[in-house]
Amino acid sequence: MNLPIDWSGVLTGPPLHWLLSGLAVTLAISLAASGIATVVAVLLSALRLSPLPPVRLATLGLISLIRNTPLLIQLLVWYFVGFGLLPQGLKAWMTGDHPWSVLPGQVSLFAPEFAASAWGVGLFIGVFLSEELQAGLNAVAPGQREAAASQGLGGWHTLTAILLPQALRNAYQPVVGQYLNLMKLTSVTCSIGLAEITYQARQIESFNSHAFEAFAAATVLYLAIGFILERLLLARRKA
Amino acid sequence: MAAPPVIEFRDVHKSFGALEVIRGISTTIERGSVVVVCGPSGSGKSTLIRMVNRLETPTRGEILVDGVSSTCARGEALRQLRTGVGFVFQQFNLYPHMTARQNVTLALRKVLGKTRAEADAVADEVLDQVGLADKAGSLPGQLSGGQQQRVAIARALATRPDLLLFDEPTSALDPEMIGEVLTVIRQLTHHGITLVVVTHEMGFARTVADRILFLDQGRIEEDAHPDAFFSAARSPRARQFLSQILSPLHTTGD
Repeated sequence: MNLPIDWSGVLTGPPLHWLLSGLAVTLAISLAASGIATVVAVLLSALRLSPLPPVRLATLGLISLIRNTPLLIQLLVWYFVGFGLLPQGLKAWMTGDHPWSVLPGQVSLFAPEFAASAWGVGLFIGVFLSEELQAGLNAVAPGQREAAASQGLGGWHTLTAILLPQALRNAYQPVVGQYLNLMKLTSVTCSIGLAEITYQARQIESFNSHAFEAFAAATVLYLAIGFILERLLLARRKA
Repeated sequence: MAAPPVIEFRDVHKSFGALEVIRGISTTIERGSVVVVCGPSGSGKSTLIRMVNRLETPTRGEILVDGVSSTCARGEALRQLRTGVGFVFQQFNLYPHMTARQNVTLALRKVLGKTRAEADAVADEVLDQVGLADKAGSLPGQLSGGQQQRVAIARALATRPDLLLFDEPTSALDPEMIGEVLTVIRQLTHHGITLVVVTHEMGFARTVADRILFLDQGRIEEDAHPDAFFSAARSPRARQFLSQILSPLHTTGD
């Protein structure tokens, strides 16, 4: 059978606007979630090195919980349950009017959809990142820790100035892979109504039935972001 | 009242599991002295000095550093103790992702809270002291083993410790690099810093040390001035050790 392909169905008028605003939202959510994932990964690495066994145990429990449950379920929980548990004042502020925080496509950075997505994807990838860093940490020579201790450095400085930079170097490829995963996993956030690329492709499909063109355009956008991100991150290593 | 000795060991014991590596050591190390600790492999030499700055914790007994017990020090007190004691490792343990200068300045900035300019000035000074002023911007991987160990010595000197501990500082080096490291250590003896050196370099021990501690099976088997130790060691174990290590087939490299 012949697939009637008509690119004007996605590259003109409202569909084009939707795709472009979807691109902006995907970039914004990827950036926000990457920041959260990085902070989460460093904190989890620090907690795993805690001298207190209950802290280490709780950290491993949290990691196990996040690693072994679907991201979609986690997003639904953060969106429908997590947001509801926030203090009333904060909720009112987040859903209030902040013109400076509005992305193209009327997506506010503090809207529950955006906040739950950034936190959900950031936490999910942060856990996987901390696992990659842990593998990298295990490969750091034990003498490094001793040298740091002999100089009187505390746990936090030892971790951030000496152990993590070396762990990152040891595990650089898999760490880059996690940031690429993060960008692609933001597509799941369409399920809680964040108007990113996938959400907009579905919207075009229901608007004019140009399903093939819409999802092809979405694919090209993800591919382009992924390709550029990968080049940037790997070029950093060579530098 | 006289100043307390730099280190005082009080009936110190250390076990790893069922293995007792230090079996009751009591002695004092006087300020400004140069003490060489030697003995056969497995005699507890490294463990003895690693307990001083608490890289290992004694199982029993107590170690006083400048009159203060290090055995129970925790947190801030432990960090303070460690910044006053420089430690040089057999494997250098330089931070491979940092330049020589950054290796030296890290503790100055993060522990002692000095500004970058202050820390860099100290780094230039101590790197110059070990003859590596021109290598400040090099990464450890770009330096020879001897140069790396000299950077490690500069790093240990940066916090201006009263006491420097060396754990077999030349054992991981190629023979032609041993001399440059020993020369640097020898120069330190003119600065009044107390040095405790675990080493097999008997030529160095003979010419530099004020005192030799010979360990065997976790005990001090002989405690003597080098002249006495090398010419007339009392214990049979020490005489046997010396005959092996000073045989013509063994190069001391000094």
